[in-house]
Amino acid sequence: MPGMWWVVGVVVAIVLVTTYLTWTAARVDRLHSRVESAARALDAHLLRRAAAAAVLAEERYAVELYAASRIALDAEGDEREAAENDLTRQLRITPLDPDDQVAGAVIGASRRLGLARQVHTDLVRDALSARRRPLVRLMRMSRKRERPRYFDIDDPTLDTRTGLSVS
Amino acid sequence: MRIGIVCPYSFDVPGGVQNHIVDLAEALIGLGHEVSVLAPADDDSPLPSYVVPAGRSVPFPYNGSVARITFGPVSTARVRRWLARGQFDVLHVHEPFVLSLSLLAVLSARGPVVATFHTAMTRSRALAVAQGMLQLVLERITARIAVSALARKLQVEHLDGGAVEIPNGVAVAKFANAEPLPGWPGRSGPGQGGTLGFLGRFTETRKGFGVLRDAFVALAPERPGLRLLVAGPGDLDDLYEGVPPGLRDRITFLGRVSEEDKARMLRSVDLYVAPNIGGESFGMILTEAMAAGATVVASDLDAFRRVLDGGRAGEIFPTGDARALRNTLARLLDDPVRRAELSACAKEVVAAFDWPTVARRVLEVYATAIEATDGRVLDEEWIGPI
Repeated sequence: MPGMWWVVGVVVAIVLVTTYLTWTAARVDRLHSRVESAARALDAHLLRRAAAAAVLAEERYAVELYAASRIALDAEGDEREAAENDLTRQLRITPLDPDDQVAGAVIGASRRLGLARQVHTDLVRDALSARRRPLVRLMRMSRKRERPRYFDIDDPTLDTRTGLSVS
Repeated sequence: MRIGIVCPYSFDVPGGVQNHIVDLAEALIGLGHEVSVLAPADDDSPLPSYVVPAGRSVPFPYNGSVARITFGPVSTARVRRWLARGQFDVLHVHEPFVLSLSLLAVLSARGPVVATFHTAMTRSRALAVAQGMLQLVLERITARIAVSALARKLQVEHLDGGAVEIPNGVAVAKFANAEPLPGWPGRSGPGQGGTLGFLGRFTETRKGFGVLRDAFVALAPERPGLRLLVAGPGDLDDLYEGVPPGLRDRITFLGRVSEEDKARMLRSVDLYVAPNIGGESFGMILTEAMAAGATVVASDLDAFRRVLDGGRAGEIFPTGDARALRNTLARLLDDPVRRAELSACAKEVVAAFDWPTVARRVLEVYATAIEATDGRVLDEEWIGPI
């Protein structure tokens, strides 16, 4: 029966297409989950840096630094990026001795924040490029997921002593 | 933590990436972590205890040279078994775009993946064709490290992503404690003696050996006892080209040297000269010379300026200017106080490149990758102070 082969061919094609669609959907899903985790980690590092800066400001009676760190801790939504940049600027003009424990904590927290920001930006870019794929748009695979947003702040890394740059 | 490191190139042949991985693994073990390195190697070849061989490698022409790599279903099975047994907290692959173990490991990995890019790869036609495939690999990498500014720049431009720049480390103690070669560096005093050193391919124009040779030929007749120690691949005839016969016996040629002899060679010179004309992305050799306690004289390249802390940790002369180099050498050879000052500063600077310090920076990237994968935040304690 020659007609049988035609049916088998269609079935195989359907299986292949379905597999590819499922695989792509899982891939898009995975990329979004990753951005969410990275965003949570970034949030934690932002709070950690602001808290370390507040401790330093209290120790030194640095009013402006204290205000900047409080504002960064409380800022939400669209204001947050500007508040974090203000804190970075305040920290850059504050003399920090890496051997001092409190200042060292601020330097360390800033460096870790720089790494978290870098990774978050890369993962957002990956997720957004997956969302732009024609197949993903056509099948609306990302409809259940919120569109990832870049967290656009200046490089917060302070430690330039070693000449190792992070950006 | 449990760390799995994958090396794409065979341990049966020495190479820069292999050395980097061995040094990194040992530094991480020294900091108290569990490390397993998967690398192509014969099952019966002598390997450090933390290296797991992934089988025989095959020669493969790549990027103008021949690399020994491993690929195929058998390798894939071995990679998966190693990953399953290892239960790693983080997987660290090197050169994931080379068709070898690293690529297989990235595709089989489930958890956080950190990738280190060593070479500054350029966009090739093959790369453009494989863009979809590369995207699949990139998507599985959580954090990227580039070992030089150049490698990082190419990441940003061609792969559309950032990378953290963490330079190669230097095993400072190994260089600082090496025994100088017998009879070197010899005596020096006002107006006489002294030893200059150069290591690298002296036949390559951009390494700038010609500049050093001209400076040496100009200075040697006025300065009895001045000697030049050269190591690197090449022919004696090329080395002596342009050197008057009377001065040839004052140039000692060691040929290609082992890592151990390199350290001894650097300990045997008063001044290490890096006359490069361009194209040096980091200047690894400078940090090694600094670790060995030699005073560094380098040409005015961005990368060298950065390593030498803008000239505090070594003397900088105008790039390609043999006259200026001759004058700098003459001045420094007669000024032991200035040399000691530069060396002391170099020692401070090079501490930032010491492997334990570099390994802690890598650990921070591991922590960031783990955090970005499951959202929890790790404590500072397990990294230790930088």
